[in-house]
Amino acid sequence: MPGVLPRTLPASLGRGCLGRWLLATRGWALLGAGAVPCSCPRWRLRPPLLLRAARQSFGTQAGGLKAAKPGGDNKDVSVHRALNEETLVSAAQKVKEAGRDFTYFIVVLVGIGVTGGLFYVIFKELFSSSSPNKIYGDALEKCRSHPEIISVFGDSIKGYGEATRRGRRQHVSHIEYIKDGLKHMRLKFYIEGTESGKQGTVHVEVKENLETGRFEVRYIFVDVETYPRRTIVIEDNR
Amino acid sequence: MEEYAREPCPWRIVDDCGGAFTMGAIGGGIFQAIKGFRNSPVGVNHRLRGSLTAIKTRAPQLGGSFAVWGGLFSMIDCSMVRMRGKEDPWNSITSGALTGAILAARNGPVAMVGSAAMGGILLALIEGAGILLTRFASTQFPNGPQLSEDPSQLQPPLFSNYQQYQ
Repeated sequence: MPGVLPRTLPASLGRGCLGRWLLATRGWALLGAGAVPCSCPRWRLRPPLLLRAARQSFGTQAGGLKAAKPGGDNKDVSVHRALNEETLVSAAQKVKEAGRDFTYFIVVLVGIGVTGGLFYVIFKELFSSSSPNKIYGDALEKCRSHPEIISVFGDSIKGYGEATRRGRRQHVSHIEYIKDGLKHMRLKFYIEGTESGKQGTVHVEVKENLETGRFEVRYIFVDVETYPRRTIVIEDNR
Repeated sequence: MEEYAREPCPWRIVDDCGGAFTMGAIGGGIFQAIKGFRNSPVGVNHRLRGSLTAIKTRAPQLGGSFAVWGGLFSMIDCSMVRMRGKEDPWNSITSGALTGAILAARNGPVAMVGSAAMGGILLALIEGAGILLTRFASTQFPNGPQLSEDPSQLQPPLFSNYQQYQ
């Protein structure tokens, strides 16, 4: 079987679309319209028919090459054949392809929706001034610059939140509640200093300011885990 | 809640590196098994041998590259936590970007920028998913205590009995 095939067979076609190539460039009328359908993988099930077509078409190859101009005419023939082939796509095929395209479109939409949602969440968390992370950052800055805290904990103060399973401590525990029609939020995070063993819990409460739309601090205080327990009030705006 | 008696950060690097290697090796193993199976001559013995060969050659490579990514990311993350003194989502995003940039260093500065952008965006998505999950998980327990009064530490500052809230 391999010996019958011409050497001009393009290597890129491989075993996939040999049927279509044969149909396009040789006498496809030999096979009849519906014998080799458009979807190439089914070619594998019909080797006998195609072998017959191949042998018959290669019989005319010598005459064809002498008669045709090299290059241009062959290309015209292929395009012509391909166009003819397209009109044989039945309505069922079109519906199937449209269905497949529609499914892919839906999948792409769902993907974009999920990605957009995740981006929105992360932007709101990092950049909006009413996110717990931002309030935690501001409170930590205020703690770092407070002289009493520095005297108790040392110079460089680390802040962290609740520990998740893997040991990362990024989540700051917070509660939002509404009181007197205004939104309040309470946060709790931990700080640790360079002096060994000194740990503290920082409690922050913020209240929403209706004119500016941002949160402003109601109080910040630190519970130091020493014996006896000591509380340092950093800010009290009640 | 401090479940860990020791600092998570230096040990987390080894943890992440090993976890990434396992993910890459198992995922690569499954993928290469199917690929080797399909690209082998007909006959179950040939196919099984082909898939085994593919797994043996390719899966460790994929595991290795995953491990490099995970280990480098975790190292940069821990370094940033140590430098900034604060644990933030910003650390993860910057670490992802830097990891992508370092791993593309062989291909020149433009490729580094592109790889850094991809790494940063990937980590931002992962962080967003993590934040969503923690928010949903925490709202599932609606037992918030009554919060109408201020905590007792503020007014008479040495009041020792204080109810802990979440």
